Amino acid sequence: MTEPSYRRHPDLRLTSLEGEGVVLHLRERRYFSVSETGLVLLETLKEARTFEELVEGLLSEYEVDRETAVSTTRAFLDQCLASAVVTEIRV
Amino acid sequence: MPLPRGLELRVDVVEEVPLFEDGREVFPQGEVEIRAGEPLGWVHLTWRRAPAVARIEATTAQARVFLSREAVADVDLLLRSFLLVTLIFLWKRDGRYHVHAGTGIDTRGRGWMLIGNSNSGKSTTTALLAARGWQVGTDDIAFLVDAGDRTGVLGFRSPIALRSGGYDLLGKEGGLPLTARRKTGFWPEELGSSWVQTIEPEIVVFTSVGGERTTLTPAAPAEVLHGLLRWSLWVMFEPTAAQEHLDLLSRLGRQARCYHATLAPDLFRAPGALEDFLP
Repeated sequence: MTEPSYRRHPDLRLTSLEGEGVVLHLRERRYFSVSETGLVLLETLKEARTFEELVEGLLSEYEVDRETAVSTTRAFLDQCLASAVVTEIRV
Repeated sequence: MPLPRGLELRVDVVEEVPLFEDGREVFPQGEVEIRAGEPLGWVHLTWRRAPAVARIEATTAQARVFLSREAVADVDLLLRSFLLVTLIFLWKRDGRYHVHAGTGIDTRGRGWMLIGNSNSGKSTTTALLAARGWQVGTDDIAFLVDAGDRTGVLGFRSPIALRSGGYDLLGKEGGLPLTARRKTGFWPEELGSSWVQTIEPEIVVFTSVGGERTTLTPAAPAEVLHGLLRWSLWVMFEPTAAQEHLDLLSRLGRQARCYHATLAPDLFRAPGALEDFLP
């Protein structure tokens, strides 16, 4: 089985103000705040991405070590999967 | 406000208002019931007060409204309730996004926007500021528009509508009785002011009322975005232009200094009113 990829819900709209992100979920008619890092991950997830691609994206965007990028990505992704903001795609 | 070019609004007064088959979830906004989004796409409005229905197309700037004779019995009420919501959805299709706010330009030429609910002191403060030499855009109904690299705000020209408490605080005789709304209206000119259609806010104030002294405290970025979204909730109802609407809200948050204000009666005694709070 190939590595799963992830994609954000198509009904999300994103914006930010001074590093604070806000996500609008049009299907559920609600909005919520995300961190700057979370916003970067969600922007990346407009297209399907593997976990490793997400980690590489954070490493290229921020000066952080791999361990931090992996744990940040895992924590955010788990949260998004639990709330159906992001879906897992397996082929 | 002139109707933007390219929009089509057809209104028919009919003996029997048609019923549209629609199983989507209902979202009440005041007396208007809204069904929007997938799977049908188009926006479906019904009025609780009297038989009336509107259909706003998803991808074109067209709306069709059917009104019963009962619905047109009070035209002012119809306009401010059902037809206003219809126009809010129609104007979205022309890049004008409703926000529940008052607007004005202070005596130093700075654009202000006062945001809050119907009991948060917007109208009373707007009337006071109008009497102190500010130009006024609106006390209640505003529309965000793209103004190049900034967000502009169009004010809907109508009388500044005061409840009895606001009327007493203003201390001015006369005014236009708005009987159905239990308010008294003043055109900006009656207060020595003038109407200005569009402003580009430099200062945004989220208003509430209370206490003895008016206070202003800076709003954090997350509070600003949440506050702007809360009072421009139409962005939530359908995907049509949602990103553009959202971008205008965040651009407004970037271009303006944003504050929470608690408005108190001392505002009516201070010669410089609100503008003296901010250098």
